[in-house]
Amino acid sequence: MSLTLQVLLGGIAAGAVYGVVAIGHTIVYRLTGIVHFAFGDLIGVGVFTSLAVAVGTAPATQAGLGGGRFALALLAAVAVCLVAGVATYVLVIEPFLARGSVLGWIGGVVAVALAAQALVNSIFARPSYVFPDPLPFRHVGTAGVVHLGSATFQIRSVFVIGVGVVLAAAAGWTLRATRFGRALTAIAQDPEAARLVGLPVRRLTAIAFGVVGALAAVLAIVAAPGAPFGTQSGAVYGLKGLAAAVVVGFAGPWRAFAAGIAFGLAEAAAGGLEIGGASLGPAYREVLPLAVVILLLAAGLVRDVVEERE
Amino acid sequence: MTPAAAAASALGRTREALGGAAKDLRHTWTLPLSTAAAVWATAAIVLPFVPGVRVDAVAADVYLAFAATALGYCVGIGGTPVLGFGGFMAVGAFASALLTVRAGWPFPAAALAGAVAAAAGGLCAGIGVIRLRPVFLAASTWLLAWLVSLFLGAFPSVSGGAQGLVFDEPGAFLGLELTPTVHLELALVLLAAAVAAFAVLSRARRGLSLSAARQRRRDAEALGVRTARLRLGAFVGGAAAGGLAGALAADLAGVADPSSFGIFLSLKLFVAVIVGGAASALGPAAGVAIVVAVFAIAGPITSAIGVEPARFDPALAAVLLLVVLGLGGDGVVPLLARLVPLPARARPRPHARPRATPAPRPASLGAQGLRKTFGELVAVDDLSLELRPGEVRALIGPNGSGKTTALRLLGGSLRPDRGRVRLGERDVTDMPPPERVRAGVAHTRQGGEGFPNLTALDHVLVATSARARYAGAVRALAATPLARAETAEARAEAKALLDRFGLGSAADRAVALLGGPDRALLLIVAAYATGARVLLLDEPGAGGTREESQRLVRAVDALRAEGAALLLVEHDLRLVRALADRVLVLDAGRTIADGTPVEIGRDAAVRRAYLGPARL
Repeated sequence: MSLTLQVLLGGIAAGAVYGVVAIGHTIVYRLTGIVHFAFGDLIGVGVFTSLAVAVGTAPATQAGLGGGRFALALLAAVAVCLVAGVATYVLVIEPFLARGSVLGWIGGVVAVALAAQALVNSIFARPSYVFPDPLPFRHVGTAGVVHLGSATFQIRSVFVIGVGVVLAAAAGWTLRATRFGRALTAIAQDPEAARLVGLPVRRLTAIAFGVVGALAAVLAIVAAPGAPFGTQSGAVYGLKGLAAAVVVGFAGPWRAFAAGIAFGLAEAAAGGLEIGGASLGPAYREVLPLAVVILLLAAGLVRDVVEERE
Repeated sequence: MTPAAAAASALGRTREALGGAAKDLRHTWTLPLSTAAAVWATAAIVLPFVPGVRVDAVAADVYLAFAATALGYCVGIGGTPVLGFGGFMAVGAFASALLTVRAGWPFPAAALAGAVAAAAGGLCAGIGVIRLRPVFLAASTWLLAWLVSLFLGAFPSVSGGAQGLVFDEPGAFLGLELTPTVHLELALVLLAAAVAAFAVLSRARRGLSLSAARQRRRDAEALGVRTARLRLGAFVGGAAAGGLAGALAADLAGVADPSSFGIFLSLKLFVAVIVGGAASALGPAAGVAIVVAVFAIAGPITSAIGVEPARFDPALAAVLLLVVLGLGGDGVVPLLARLVPLPARARPRPHARPRATPAPRPASLGAQGLRKTFGELVAVDDLSLELRPGEVRALIGPNGSGKTTALRLLGGSLRPDRGRVRLGERDVTDMPPPERVRAGVAHTRQGGEGFPNLTALDHVLVATSARARYAGAVRALAATPLARAETAEARAEAKALLDRFGLGSAADRAVALLGGPDRALLLIVAAYATGARVLLLDEPGAGGTREESQRLVRAVDALRAEGAALLLVEHDLRLVRALADRVLVLDAGRTIADGTPVEIGRDAAVRRAYLGPARL
């Protein structure tokens, strides 16, 4: 029972980040038909931008961080992600999509991923960094850890889940209820028709690339103080978000978010899973859920992925 | 025959076969190949003695080039954008390292086991992912490479942790200790073999079929190309080569280190392949050379500004990739080939006698009660027809009346919701197009433009593969006498077919450069070359002038005279009257008339639905 609550909260907190990343992947795919392999690396760039603005490139202490400084860092990250996302679409994706070249856009996205990796790795030399927490969770419970019955969990994971749900809801609401969102939906359904009725398809898509990247980076930054953030962590978020988005066939934003939560839960469960009394151990959490997603893909069980006769 | 005479005749045949193979080689040898051979020989002989050259680093790069060549075949010929090729190298490296370090296996056996493990992994993954759309194929291979990398990170008991699996001593091969120099020579031999295999396979019918499927998958399948099977073969072969390269690179380094088999390895290989040119045999190796050279040149500069070169290398790779993509994305080798035009080599003269075009299989194609809906729309409803050998049937009707849908139901590229299709006595309703071609039904697709980058001759050759018996990858690579003879015959047959239908002069021209009517005729010739004798042609006369359509009429008449059964979807009613024995009229998916052209011309329902005031 105690373990269950711990697994649930930890899994949902991690899954919320995957879920928002999955929303980003879904929107990108629905708008353009491409898979944004550099998405996670751009999130990493956002997170490290905020780290650089908040505390510089030196190892940070766990001691507090002013709220104003943190807000500035968050803003800088949003700005960088927006610009990087828009530039990615305009400079390396759209030209190849227009040419109908699959290898072209894959190459372009790979180039962005490589450039983002090089940027982060050249400036941040250590394998991982600890983010100071801007919010005073450490004053709650024992250094931010709360005991509920026999379960122990970080109080900030509840906060991360809350922010994740708010961001997912905001994305869903934007798509459904705003002019911008409805225009994106129209483009996703038929870009040619959207262009014919006068929608600035290229500009809207570019903005969407920026916004979804910034959204995901914000949540990654909110979640980052929970654990050390490595130079590859952004890419791993991108990968797990993609796994979640792809397994529901890039269906709508809510399903992508739910799949992300499910992925996080599966990870947490795989770590604590016991089969016949023998525990699988934490090593499996990184491997099992991803392996299951690949199996589902390979088995052709995911909607619309198989190249088939009609 | 005495044993001595038998031996002598066997010797004679062997000599003849070898002579023929040498002749083929001479005919396909080009200046880039001579250059590559010279570079290769120089590297093999001189490099180990040049002071200041780190032989082990060069050998590692050559192994990388070997792996890249295999990846290039999958990407450039097979059309499968494998984004996680490093995963196969990792599997090979760690499988062989585990066997060596933990189980004490000797080196060559362990390296081969690494290759086998990677091939097995490729087979398991490939059976599933090879059928995915390109986007998802790239995504799932990318996820796979991540899975391997995360697995190695999460299980230090397998990967040796941060330090990796360290080999106690260098392996030995044929009694030689595997020093870096021996590794370099071995790597160069493997690279040469891979480049040669790439060149041979991409020109063989197997490679041409893959190229055709890469350019127009559905058109290729309608000509009998089994896309998934061919792609899986390339994928598994590539995985095996990748695994071998990984195993050897680990032995060379003395350690299988998880960090050197991370996701960056996959991206670097992909970049090298795109930079050099995925579709040319020398491209991937050249790409690795370029990437390595750029890293080496930029290294001192990045060090000078205080950044560790290895951390900045990905940015250089990104810039290189963007430059090449900006130049058109074909890669450096094809670009050079365009800039420095070389005297074109004549293809080997077809010295074989054309194989007798197989006798028509007299079978009639029957359909009963076919129905197909797309959502609310009933595209075809209750279609029944019988197409007999020696009969030309036209399928006409207003736009959107379901003609093309009907043809695709018969050809197998659409599955009916209801109803059966049979060929003779055989039910072929659920047979996909490649199998249906082998059973005897080929179709062309509406608006089909052929395979733009193949020559007309190669286009027809692809179609003949449906009948090939000795065109497997191993036979093609080994150039066995049977495979060579069959290929030569098929080539001669394809040329003869083109000559017969008046396309002989276009044989060596790229299909993209043919005029519309030539191309339309080529599609018919290709459908015929599959050996199928029930041919379903969608708008064979599209866009032709009246003079040009004369050629089409002659071709169709010739095929009918041979006993072929033809079904044509056609708009040009003049052409229909000139060609068809019977006409079937569709309106809104339903058959409204079926009869001779004259009867159809008089039919009131047809005139009402379709012709209006015009007369047939």
